[in-house]
Amino acid sequence: MTISNLSLDLDEIERIYPESPLDFFRDKKLCLFKACLEKYFPGVRWGIQDLLEELGLDVSMCVNQSCCSGTFFQRNLITRAQFAAINERNIYELDQQADIVLFSCNGCYNSLMRGREFLKNQDVKRKTEEILNSLKKDLVIDNLKKYEILENLKIRFLHDLDFLYLIRNDVFNSLKFDLKDLKVAIHYGCHYLNLSRDKRTADAYLRDKTKLDELVTLFGGTPVDYQEREACCGWGASQLLINPKEALKITFNKLKSAESVGADFILMPCPTCLYTLSKPEYRDKMNKWFGEKLDIPTIHLNELIAILRGCEEERCITLRRKTPRLDEIFEIITRE
Amino acid sequence: MEEYSDSEWNWDFYKELVDDVEENKNIIQCISCGKCVGDCPATKVSNFNIRKIIQKVLRGDKSVLKDSDIWYCYLCERCKRVCPKDNINIPLLIINLRNESFKKGYGPRYNDLRKYVEMSERFLIKGVVVEEQLGEPLPQERIDELNEICNFARIKYVFKASKTNKNKKKKLKKS
Ligand code: SF4
Ligand code: SF4
Repeated sequence: MTISNLSLDLDEIERIYPESPLDFFRDKKLCLFKACLEKYFPGVRWGIQDLLEELGLDVSMCVNQSCCSGTFFQRNLITRAQFAAINERNIYELDQQADIVLFSCNGCYNSLMRGREFLKNQDVKRKTEEILNSLKKDLVIDNLKKYEILENLKIRFLHDLDFLYLIRNDVFNSLKFDLKDLKVAIHYGCHYLNLSRDKRTADAYLRDKTKLDELVTLFGGTPVDYQEREACCGWGASQLLINPKEALKITFNKLKSAESVGADFILMPCPTCLYTLSKPEYRDKMNKWFGEKLDIPTIHLNELIAILRGCEEERCITLRRKTPRLDEIFEIITRE
Repeated sequence: MEEYSDSEWNWDFYKELVDDVEENKNIIQCISCGKCVGDCPATKVSNFNIRKIIQKVLRGDKSVLKDSDIWYCYLCERCKRVCPKDNINIPLLIINLRNESFKKGYGPRYNDLRKYVEMSERFLIKGVVVEEQLGEPLPQERIDELNEICNFARIKYVFKASKTNKNKKKKLKKS
């Protein structure tokens, strides 16, 4: 069995559908992978869900999908085979329901790719199979033996940022507002910026990442360069919980660097980075530890698209009233 | 900086690690160029130095398992991107080392893991790491499967330890 790279081949879509890449998705079933942290930032999910529905695409969520469990693997609380088994269980469920899975979170995206990558190791694969077999007992549904490592999967994975970039002209046409020349500091997040396991060529891996910058320009904003552009948000696979002072120093440097070049807000494609960079409690701690109050607002790409499309505030930045100056940005963008 | 002489090569430790995670055999290609160190966020805020850690491993120096350094890595994969060698997967090496450290009893104790207790509980009870998920909850049958997958994993011990602690607290309150 060959364990294939499950990332969607974007170059091929651009080659086959040069005029309108959106057409590729018209007859496909899309499923939004539910990132745990969307609980705190529902606009991250609704932002993309509403857009896809407006574009007439078939979009759903999978009730049987669990957390990706990356956080537990990264803290050595589950083994590689257990992580891979949780992953394969999710993949099995997603494959029943969809052709393409979309990810709003760098962490989940990395996890799903990583779990599959582990199966290239025969020992891990054997142990993963054993675990999945042990689950079969009560699970004979419709004569399908449940949960095995599926060969020839039809399902493909796609990061929201790559998707939105691919269909950027259609996204642009759906917008009601523009970015009013706001200065935007771009943050990609480590597990988008440094990820190799979803790439097909060395060039795709190493080339500069500019999709978010290009989207900002297209939407009428100005991407601003800043020293810490490629730096980690500070979450660091839970370093922020284990060694908070060191981790928040990284967060602080990032925010300060963006603020000092006059950015109006920081834009990112990951709710974990968003959580780290925006949590009011962390901002207070940084003020206490490093002696400076930083109040630069932070926005997820999906939330921004919802704001630009003129969605109700509840649908894009709800629950975030306490985060610094976000309402200001909302008001500037949505001013008629 | 502490350096090693050629006579100090010792492959025992390396073999032990590779036995557990075969992919880590690639660290033998390390040319000690230090690119990974220059770009590493953990190095910026702590004494963590991945080049030194790899050197120690290749010399059979197991003191890395006792050092707190290995617990500072951000698993950000930056080093993988800048390393001139193919397939040196430092985050995977770090996870491998942390596992060995756990096995030998040097890893974080329950107390250091307490920040994970809540997340572990939520995962085993609800299948997510937050209090409730956005939208429909995961069906109980699926949650049972997750629990079965996690049998004998450390996550279960963290979970059990948290329950024992809660019971102790309850008893204390009562008395
Ligand atoms: S993964 Fe770890 S060693 Fe590599 S750059 Fe990130 S923090 Fe440093
Ligand atoms: S960048 Fe790669 S080759 Fe250079 S010291 Fe680090 S691990 Fe070794």
